Amino acid sequence: MEDFLRFMAAPFAACLVLVGIHAYLGIHVLARGVIFVDLALAQIAALGRTLAFLAGYELDSVEAYLISLAAAFIGAAVFSLTRLRQRQIPQEAVIGITYAVAAAAGILAIDQAPHGAEHLRDLLVGSILWVTWPQVLEIAGLYALVGLFHWIFRARFLALSFAEEEAVGRGWSLRWWDFIFYASFGVVITSSVQVAGVLLVFSFLIVPAVCGTLLAQGLGRRLAIAWGVGFAASALGCSLSYAADLPTGATVVCTFGAVLVALGLGWLGRHLLKRERKV
Amino acid sequence: MNYLILASLLALGSGAGAEGLRVVATTPDLAAIALALGGERVEVKTIARGDQDPHYLEAKPSFMSLVNKADLLIYNGLELEVGWLPLLVQGGRNPRVLPGQPGNLDASENIPVLEIPTGEVDRSQGDIHPLGNPHYTLDPRNGLVIAGAIASRLRDLDPAGAEGYARNLGLFERELQQLLTNWERRAGPLRGRQVVTYHQNLEYLADWLGLGVAGYIEDKPGVPPSPRHLAELVEQMQRDKIGLVLYASVQDAAAPGRVAAQVGGKAVALPIAVGAEPGIATYPELFEAILARLEAGFGGG
Repeated sequence: MEDFLRFMAAPFAACLVLVGIHAYLGIHVLARGVIFVDLALAQIAALGRTLAFLAGYELDSVEAYLISLAAAFIGAAVFSLTRLRQRQIPQEAVIGITYAVAAAAGILAIDQAPHGAEHLRDLLVGSILWVTWPQVLEIAGLYALVGLFHWIFRARFLALSFAEEEAVGRGWSLRWWDFIFYASFGVVITSSVQVAGVLLVFSFLIVPAVCGTLLAQGLGRRLAIAWGVGFAASALGCSLSYAADLPTGATVVCTFGAVLVALGLGWLGRHLLKRERKV
Repeated sequence: MNYLILASLLALGSGAGAEGLRVVATTPDLAAIALALGGERVEVKTIARGDQDPHYLEAKPSFMSLVNKADLLIYNGLELEVGWLPLLVQGGRNPRVLPGQPGNLDASENIPVLEIPTGEVDRSQGDIHPLGNPHYTLDPRNGLVIAGAIASRLRDLDPAGAEGYARNLGLFERELQQLLTNWERRAGPLRGRQVVTYHQNLEYLADWLGLGVAGYIEDKPGVPPSPRHLAELVEQMQRDKIGLVLYASVQDAAAPGRVAAQVGGKAVALPIAVGAEPGIATYPELFEAILARLEAGFGGG
């Protein structure tokens, strides 16, 4: 137990912080139907960092971070400009294309580096077990700022994701606020992927949000359920990883999957019962 | 009375065995050497398995627990474990194995390192291995250097066992020396032959046996080779009559096989670490296996 606390406390705290912001963003992402936007933005940010590295900056320098953030903002601009009101092309198509091209461009960029390609691979495979307390505090501070920003402008963000017509009716600029949404998303993703890796971040983003959306209406209730599920699944995943000595990130991802299946079965059972009663 | 003395001696002896020095090695090669030297006085645990690439390791909670309890941490150095070892040492919170402490041993300390970048090392140029090629355990002569360093550190940490460590070191050195002579004789006909390798991880082996590495299939790790690079490589192999492609048995066999097939040659998989294949449990067994593969490879081609 003492060992468990000593080694797993920081990773677990990191899970909580990550679930905190990602479950919220995930509810937006689900409503907008842009499920893989996090992968695309993470890939663009990694491309930015690769280019910074080629330009001579250290991978973990402030300059490299800012360049990767700028790249993520360019991605945000692309996503906000390609939100077509008539939906001739689903936004997922643009997101998929962006992901593939950014990943491929990353390979071409790495090819130009005389050496050093090995470090670049680490950009997308952060490992939650190695997280340190200063890192946890850093992301907690950053995400609190992003969360506060979303709270202040909640009317706009909510209308944009859930009631597009209302937003248009009130004269808010769709493109501008879409850009702001994706840009703040990029800020979160750029650091979370480095801490936890793409797989884990994707699970944090989507699984709790799916649970919340499935079981409740309204942002507040959905968020409460999403956080509850996310925190519980993180605790379970971290404990399992420690008890069975399995790679932590992958164990937590699988736990999230299992929790979703269990909840889904429960929901289905309740649904069937209700129908039977009606008949 | 005599019984009493004997009993207390036995108790002392078994006590040392049960609470032996806890040694943690990052790679199985270092662990195998440490075990040969420490014998029953040490308990050796390995972090990376022989069939894993120590550059990339999935983080498991037990790694931290191992480091936390270690009396001696032996690592390869030259940035082989740079992606995870510093974090692991930080997370393990064990003052005994921090850099600079007697419990922290960089096995590369007295190794004659190959491929140290010449001239000014400019980090902006990229720098996988600014300290040189880290795969030095594949030259058994380096095994002697590593053994010396480990034995001396074991002695410092556990003076009571000094005699045993010295004896084990003597045995290890004698055995390896004899085998070295034997291996070098067997590999004599290969001296000066040219080969192509998959990655830059067989340089020390080639250096020891006098093989010439004419080129690499993938000269940047993780970046698939360009068609032109492959075409040039095949052309060079045809021109210089190079028929042998060597690669680590943990790597994918497809690319080496294809390149070898294009020149009518052979691709030979080599175990590159203790534990990389079943039946390779000690450092000398690793080279027995490598020599057998090389002989078969060159013999047939």
